[in-house]
Amino acid sequence: MNKQGSVAIQGVVKRHGSVTVLHGIDLEIEAGEFFVLLGPSGSGKTTTLRILAGLESVNAGNVYLDGEKVTDKEPGERDVAMVFQSYALYPHMTVAQNIGFPLKMVGQTGDTLTKAVADAADKVDIGHLLDRRPGQLSGGQQQRVALARAIVRQPRLFLLDEPLSNLDAKLRMETRVELKKLQRALGVTAVYVTHDQEEAMTLADRVAVFMDGRIVQVASPKEIFGRPAHASVAGFIGTPPMNLLAATWQGSDVFLEGAGRVRVGVTSTDARPVTLGVRPADLRLAPEGLAARVELIEELGDSHIVIATLGSERVKLRTEPTSPLREGDRVQLGLTPDAAHLFDRATGARLN
Amino acid sequence: MRNALLVRRLALAAMAGALLSIWAFPVLWALLTSFKTERDVLAYPPVWWFTPTLANYREVLFGSSSIVPNLVSSMVVSVSTTLLTMLFAVPAAYALARLRYPAKRASGFYVLATQMLPPVGLIIPYYLALQRVGGLDTYAGMIAIYLTFSLPFAIWLMVSYFEDVPFEMEEAALLDRAGRLRALWHVILPQVRGGIAVTTVFVFLNAWNEFLFAVVLGGNRVRPVTVAMFNFISVEQTQWARLAAGAMVAMAPVIVLGLLAQRHIVKGLTVGAVKGGGRR
Amino acid sequence: MTRFETRERGFALALLGPALLLLLLITTAPLIYLGWTSLQRLDLGMPWLSGLAGVDNYAKMSADPRFWNSLALTFVYTASTVLLQVVLGLSLALLVLQIPRGQGVLRVAAILPIVLAPVVVGLFWRTLVLAPDFGLVDLVTRALGLGSHNWLGDPQLALISVIAIHTWQWTPFAFLVLLATLATLPPDIYEAARLDRATAWKRFVHITLPLIRPAVVMVVILRTMTALSAFAAIFAATGGGPGSSTEILNLYAYRTSFSELNLGYGASLAVVLLAITLAVSWLLFRRRRAPA
Repeated sequence: MNKQGSVAIQGVVKRHGSVTVLHGIDLEIEAGEFFVLLGPSGSGKTTTLRILAGLESVNAGNVYLDGEKVTDKEPGERDVAMVFQSYALYPHMTVAQNIGFPLKMVGQTGDTLTKAVADAADKVDIGHLLDRRPGQLSGGQQQRVALARAIVRQPRLFLLDEPLSNLDAKLRMETRVELKKLQRALGVTAVYVTHDQEEAMTLADRVAVFMDGRIVQVASPKEIFGRPAHASVAGFIGTPPMNLLAATWQGSDVFLEGAGRVRVGVTSTDARPVTLGVRPADLRLAPEGLAARVELIEELGDSHIVIATLGSERVKLRTEPTSPLREGDRVQLGLTPDAAHLFDRATGARLN
Repeated sequence: MRNALLVRRLALAAMAGALLSIWAFPVLWALLTSFKTERDVLAYPPVWWFTPTLANYREVLFGSSSIVPNLVSSMVVSVSTTLLTMLFAVPAAYALARLRYPAKRASGFYVLATQMLPPVGLIIPYYLALQRVGGLDTYAGMIAIYLTFSLPFAIWLMVSYFEDVPFEMEEAALLDRAGRLRALWHVILPQVRGGIAVTTVFVFLNAWNEFLFAVVLGGNRVRPVTVAMFNFISVEQTQWARLAAGAMVAMAPVIVLGLLAQRHIVKGLTVGAVKGGGRR
Repeated sequence: MTRFETRERGFALALLGPALLLLLLITTAPLIYLGWTSLQRLDLGMPWLSGLAGVDNYAKMSADPRFWNSLALTFVYTASTVLLQVVLGLSLALLVLQIPRGQGVLRVAAILPIVLAPVVVGLFWRTLVLAPDFGLVDLVTRALGLGSHNWLGDPQLALISVIAIHTWQWTPFAFLVLLATLATLPPDIYEAARLDRATAWKRFVHITLPLIRPAVVMVVILRTMTALSAFAAIFAATGGGPGSSTEILNLYAYRTSFSELNLGYGASLAVVLLAITLAVSWLLFRRRRAPA
């Protein structure tokens, strides 16, 4: 068996009763990739993960692991390991027994078992906790036990279901880094589900963005950030997310009602209704441009977020902490042509 | 202000004391009576200070009206019923609580419905059928009818315990290549060990205390203690003190078990009507 | 359907099947036999009369005053014991809630009536508590100057006595369940209510009662089932008598079948009791599912 860890999902449809949860998903994941499934709650990313694990059936389509069709295979037969959001540790067993369980189930015993358990535990730094029970561990430690249990049998695929969501913010940041390092060191393909776009951006080699049961874009984090393929993706990524404004595109200008116009780098012959996307960091104070009025200023310490009204819509922009802006000020905002993202108003598809 | 609080406290304490006595007194009174001679029992005004005697216990345990054979009878029936019940009920409850299969709601309702059957409705057909095949006064027949109230009860109690285990346990075990049976054995069952213990106690308790089935289907061979109580009552006279002693002996196992399991009593008492039909 | 799901189904069937089959065998089959018997004349005292009787037994029942008496008694017995248990249990639970230190001991004391065999409870009461002259109750009434009474031998008093016995044994159940439920109520809503100037009574009516409603309903359901099938305690205390003054339907069916050996008629009485039990439980369950 070719054990590399490449994944292919073709045309997978999933229904729950009369509700269609997945509308035909196609995905290809390369061996060794850290691949993130990103999307808001209910977008179908967790369902997709569970289908990969074999915990859910499909109504149509197929799943391939290393070229082998596994759609009908049992979870235990796919050589896949999963870290659950709640960790699903066996509370009546010690940490060592928890980690050793998958090996015990395939008949390993004795010294080989003990050594494998110790190795896995060391990789996540819990070698000193082997005799404790899950109930005696902190959240972070429990999460590592779950990881160790997944690692110990050297599967060809790791599935992680929002493994960091139960940790506090600081621990989450630290664990993120360690997770990535661990995956690099082991070289195992990892499929990671999260709704936190920051997590996705920092961890992923590539990201698949899910919206309402469909994959809207598959690309590297840089590409998703720089060239979101859809307005919904644009509005989801970034802290704070991209500003999306209703506008009309004609010629090489985009007109915003009641505010003015901006020059963009592409030309349209007819007047097209569009959604103009511009990142808060790309909006600048200009001597001439779109008319806006400052509503509120959020002081974050190393930068300010200015919330302003532009025509009938609200925008956010970032400024230096030394900015002299005050609430109620009237300003002009501008952006460079390549900072403009244009999306069709009706479909949300990217136009430039 | 201080006084009002004190009065309130005293009132509550008095009420608590009254409650305690009302509930505990009959048992304590029987205990007291069991150490009296028949004469002392019948004395009026009641004799508070008396010479205790073990004669009643001696008679009830070793004498001609010994209820030891009845204790044995009760033990055989109760233990067998409990073992058989748990054997069938635990797997059944697991399926009801955590597995997916067709007609799940219907089977859940069916089990619930069997808990509602009035015993007198069952005793008549059992009596007729057993009489025909010579099954009266046999352990097999007795255990069969005892199962009619033990099995549904045990299933529903275990269902509530199984439902308390987090749902991802099976999934994690399956991914760890355990297979369904081993997942149940290694992962789920250990987590409901306490529930199994409590259920066992309750099933045993109910079986031990059963009367109607015991008196109708029993005879000389199979004669649980609940029936033997009437040995001490006849048309001519009632042997009060011996009856008290006999009752204490007969109820001793049940009282001890009850006290041991008392913290789990509420869960055991509230089974069945709370959760009708499994989840998932 | 995937292999995974098929295997899950097979597994479920293997685990549940045996129990279901067993239940079918030991409960449903006998019930069918019961129905069949109720359509027959089966009098072991007069065996020559046996044979199919159609609905004769049921016709006879509707004209049988003893049947109607037992039905009325069943209703009175069930309604009064359940009501008393809930009211007493709730009141006691509310009071005991205010004695944190006494709760442990009281919970243990509450166990005693529940774990005793009902037949033993009936005998206890009959012999030690309600016996004229030296029973506990008699001693008390005599001390209070109310005289001695034949608690179980007087038709009026007998019914009250058996109701008292049943209530004594099962009130602790309501008490324990409601005590546990009350203990889980969040204290902050009471604090909010006090700030909203709700009196203790209002807090009880508007906050406590609605919140414990599910528990109360559940207690009512379980206790009603027990009351409908109560047998041993009454049997031990009065045997159904004096006469028929404590002969609830349960006991009437028993006496007819095993004292008078008229099993055909007894079976029909049992069928009626079964029907009543199922109807009552269905009604109560519907109430439970109905929105508050």
